[in-house]
Amino acid sequence: MAADANATGVDERRSSARQTQSDDVDAAESADDRLLEVENLRTVFHTERETIRAVDGVSFGIEEGETLGLVGESGSGKSVTARSIMGLVDDPGELLPGSSVRFDGRELTDLTEKGYESVRGSGIAMVFQDPLSTLNPVYTVGNQIEEALSLHRGLSGIDATEKAIELLEDVGIPDAARRVSEYPHEFSGGMRQRAVIAMALACDPDVLVCDEPTTALDVTIQAQILELLSDLQAEHGLSILFITHDMGVIAEVADRVAVMYAGEIVEQAPVVELYENPRHPYTRGLLRSIPSTQQGAERLETIAGEVPTPNKAATDCRFAPRCPEAFDACEEVHPVPVPVEEGAEDHTAACLLYPEDEPRKAAVDRHAAAGDEDSPESAGSTGGDSR
Amino acid sequence: MSRWSYFARRVLLMIPIVFFGTTITFLVLRMGPMDPAAAVIAGAGDTEAYESVRQSLGLDQPLWLQYVEYLRDLFTLQLGYSWVVNRGRPVWELIGVYAPRTIWLGFWAVMLPLFIGLPLGFYAGLNPNTLSDYLASFGGIVWRAMPNFWLAVILVSVLTQSDQLFGFDWESWLVQTQIVTPPELQRLWVPSNFLAAFKAILPAALVLGSASMGNEMRIGRTAVLETVNENYVETARAKGVPRRTIISKHVFRNALIPLVPIITGEAFLLLGGSVLVETVFSINGLGYLFYSATINADLPLVGSLMFFFILLSVGINILQDLLYTLIDPRVGYGGEGA
Amino acid sequence: MSAVDYPVDEDEQTLLERIQDEPGPALKLLAVVVPLFAVEFGAVASLVMSLPWSAVGSALPGFLQGLAGALAGVGDALANLPTLLSRSVIDNSGYQLPSGEWVGTTLGLSPAVAWLLRVLLVYAYGFAWMAVGWWVYLVYRDNYRYADWAPVDDMVNRFRNHSWGLLGLAIIFAFVVLALFAPALGPTTVEANISDPYLHTVEYFDEEAGSVQEIYVGDANRDSQSRGQGGDNVGPLSYDQFGRFHPFGTLPSGKDLFTFMAAGARVSLFIGVLSLLIAGGIAVTFALATAYYKGLVDLGVVIASDSIQSLPQLLFIMLASFVLSGTWLANLYSGGVVLALLFGFTGWPGLWRAVRGPALQVSEREWIDAAKSFGQRPSVTMRKHMLPYVVGYLLIYASLTLGGVIIGVAGLSFLGLGINAPTPEWGRAVSAGQPYVPTQSWHISLIPGIMVVIVVTGFNALGDGIRDAIDPQSDVGTGQQDESAAAGGGA
Repeated sequence: MAADANATGVDERRSSARQTQSDDVDAAESADDRLLEVENLRTVFHTERETIRAVDGVSFGIEEGETLGLVGESGSGKSVTARSIMGLVDDPGELLPGSSVRFDGRELTDLTEKGYESVRGSGIAMVFQDPLSTLNPVYTVGNQIEEALSLHRGLSGIDATEKAIELLEDVGIPDAARRVSEYPHEFSGGMRQRAVIAMALACDPDVLVCDEPTTALDVTIQAQILELLSDLQAEHGLSILFITHDMGVIAEVADRVAVMYAGEIVEQAPVVELYENPRHPYTRGLLRSIPSTQQGAERLETIAGEVPTPNKAATDCRFAPRCPEAFDACEEVHPVPVPVEEGAEDHTAACLLYPEDEPRKAAVDRHAAAGDEDSPESAGSTGGDSR
Repeated sequence: MSRWSYFARRVLLMIPIVFFGTTITFLVLRMGPMDPAAAVIAGAGDTEAYESVRQSLGLDQPLWLQYVEYLRDLFTLQLGYSWVVNRGRPVWELIGVYAPRTIWLGFWAVMLPLFIGLPLGFYAGLNPNTLSDYLASFGGIVWRAMPNFWLAVILVSVLTQSDQLFGFDWESWLVQTQIVTPPELQRLWVPSNFLAAFKAILPAALVLGSASMGNEMRIGRTAVLETVNENYVETARAKGVPRRTIISKHVFRNALIPLVPIITGEAFLLLGGSVLVETVFSINGLGYLFYSATINADLPLVGSLMFFFILLSVGINILQDLLYTLIDPRVGYGGEGA
Repeated sequence: MSAVDYPVDEDEQTLLERIQDEPGPALKLLAVVVPLFAVEFGAVASLVMSLPWSAVGSALPGFLQGLAGALAGVGDALANLPTLLSRSVIDNSGYQLPSGEWVGTTLGLSPAVAWLLRVLLVYAYGFAWMAVGWWVYLVYRDNYRYADWAPVDDMVNRFRNHSWGLLGLAIIFAFVVLALFAPALGPTTVEANISDPYLHTVEYFDEEAGSVQEIYVGDANRDSQSRGQGGDNVGPLSYDQFGRFHPFGTLPSGKDLFTFMAAGARVSLFIGVLSLLIAGGIAVTFALATAYYKGLVDLGVVIASDSIQSLPQLLFIMLASFVLSGTWLANLYSGGVVLALLFGFTGWPGLWRAVRGPALQVSEREWIDAAKSFGQRPSVTMRKHMLPYVVGYLLIYASLTLGGVIIGVAGLSFLGLGINAPTPEWGRAVSAGQPYVPTQSWHISLIPGIMVVIVVTGFNALGDGIRDAIDPQSDVGTGQQDESAAAGGGA
């Protein structure tokens, strides 16, 4: 479980609110004490023909007040990860045994639907991608915020309405007293997303899971929403899991970044480190494919091929077919996340090239051995494949 | 508010519709190949009688004047008299006698599916791919393919033979009623009268509502299935709303939206279906009155009844728009719900 | 249908040229189609002749009547050519000697077996045509179509995996074959058994006289009635005392119910298809025009269609067919043409509403603006760029509406309106059997009713299948059209 060897990757760009918390984190070095801890998460979907391993052994943690960016192409399993954390994976999907999601020291994967209701909202709230379809069209925005208020803060009637207006003001909606009684379709896209965020805040959560919250919005609105999120984070001391496919957005919001590919996290590092010194060939490819004004007319690079849809337990590197640096062992050994070099415990990559300072052969053996170590667990999970 | 002005616009639109609907009836009755006066006297009378009928129907006037008077009479709700079926009786009086039975029949034909078909469909939609779901879906499909008149014939036979077939006598069950007869609608507030009237209409209402029942079951199921998968339902779950509240608050109201036109549309279809069902069950209602007026060539009565039906259908349309406006706030916004 | 999907540009090869380039597959196809058609050519001719030409002829001006007469002569001659599926190839009419031996039937088979063999042969023939149709599609797709792939291929594939839609297709296939080959399928014919029973005779072995007797069909019918009491019943799959086999039993008048049903299927199908051609034509024209021009044109059609829909369809048709009852139109096809016209002219608003949405959708696509921008004529834009998209949706509702029309026509016939006796119509059989439902003659009402249920379910299933094939994402928003389309005006 080398993937969890994360330390306190706090971005110095962050505000002072963060700084106070980093002391706590330092005090509690043990990974188990992190607010949200995802370990070996495997979420599969059973179809008539096969079992899709949408999330296949993902591990990460989020500390209080921290923003973890989860980035990857569409189809890489980001949203399924978010839904798994929220307990929103329904038939025909399921979490395989061995998956663990711990929130505030409490194991969530064992909870019943009823038990989960007490965690959702108040513990972990979620902001979805498409703000229009996220709001129920037949109720006013105020009604839907008040619903959360009554569930999690016991407010009702005038109190709830006043609080709802306050929340709408907090998220920067002008004329909130009037807009609270309007319907979602009367809001513009950006305003809707603000309302959705207000609704999530109404639950008074500790962790906010944002699933592509800016993807459906115009670029200028995107920037406003991102700014709003970081202001709110500072104000409420929120931890945020920020999911996006947009490397540019991640650079702005995240403290730490996890890069997902085909259901696995391939690289994890503090944001500055990742951008300045990407290690996994996939991450490098992703960064090279960001359009940038500085590069002028230079031709953008692309990664050839598509994200595969994994339907059986990995025995090789899933990126190998698209990898410019692949060598023979990549098709035989499944890489596990390891520190990229001696001492860089907060920067891991799941690639046979690492640890960089070890001889290639030793590194490969290390990955292979870790994979074998994993096998009792994965034997349990392969049961899902045969279905 | 924009949705109420949308509603007002819909109501305004009904005026030309009544106007044109009535015009079509006029075209068929007065410009068609059948001479109303000749049809009324059915060839029995002499020319003198024929002329007097023509005169009193205003057929001796130029067509445009006939048209103007026809419209004027109807729009001022002067529906005229019956000439053959019930000679000399005002149409309003006939409607007063015949309509309550049809309304009683139609009321239950709307209510029974609403309270049986719709809950079954919702239940099936909430429990998809279970045995009860398959039963409800299949039942709905077959049920709505059954012709009303045939179902009526079978039901009448089964009920009249219920003693031999099931060992219990439908006619004397609970209260004494007859199967093939119009219901007694006097003093319905007396419980025993109400029960008798309800029992008397029940078979006919079940038949007339059968297609609706199948449809509401099927469409209710799909509507719930689709709504359950909507993002806002997931959002509600993500903010910790209990399942029961999600279903009652977030799912049902949205699932009702596509059902509104189904339910009102069916209320309208009942008018056509009532002819057959009323004939089989010998309920002397409006459908039966229209049918006998038609086959007896009582064209003035037919024309007035048709106008009455047009008003009814337009009324149902307005009711539908009202329901839409109440349930769906998006009505009238960006063309949705039109 | 593919020509619709892929309008051929001027500079492309025409289909004919492509076939000339590679004639092999087409010739092979032709080698099967021609004999298949040839064995039934006489039947096609007689089908053409069975249309109510005399009514049309009498409506023609004098000098044309002579010409029409000559044509009719040629047609009748062609109609008399021997065919594979004629009744005489496998004959099921004969009489049984006391020894149990059958005389007069093909190979001395019992009438039931002979009839069943003929039914199987007819359905095999129908199935052969369906297989050929599929083959034509494959040959065209693989050999002659300009494009390797067209959207219709995906639709066909989706439909092939749609078991509910396939069930519907199978039912409709059975129904259409029943209607098309009605004269060959019945154990007897409408003329001999139903319309002119006193112009035809049957032979039977009279046990009292000990010899073979000849009797008018009308008289025989009187002794094979189904009236519920005692001996007066000839149920399904049984013989009457004249050695005639009745697969569905007999009517209260002693006439053969299966023959009646087969001929009735033809009437229903005729009315359904003709009314749909009318309603579909109007609906598509209006849908394209309203989607293209929008605004006032749309409002006008909305008002027109709502006005027509404000009249209760079944009641209005009742009224209109009564008003038209004295005219020459009412005599065409025993009133079937009038009904088809009325169902068509009152049915288009429903279809129009159903395809208006898709038409509007396609009209907002950029290729429409592109076509407008380079000055394409509106009629061409509509036909070339909008119609193909709308046609699929029309098919869905056409299928549902057909079921509705069948119920509606049956309902009117049940009331004694619509199709004039003695021309068979299913609703009339239900009506005739009404008093006998609780008796042993239950089959008279029950069988036609069940057949209506099966056929209408088939059309609904086919419509569902087409919908899922065309638009797998389609949803409940289309419910209302479904429901009123399949309702037959509430009958």
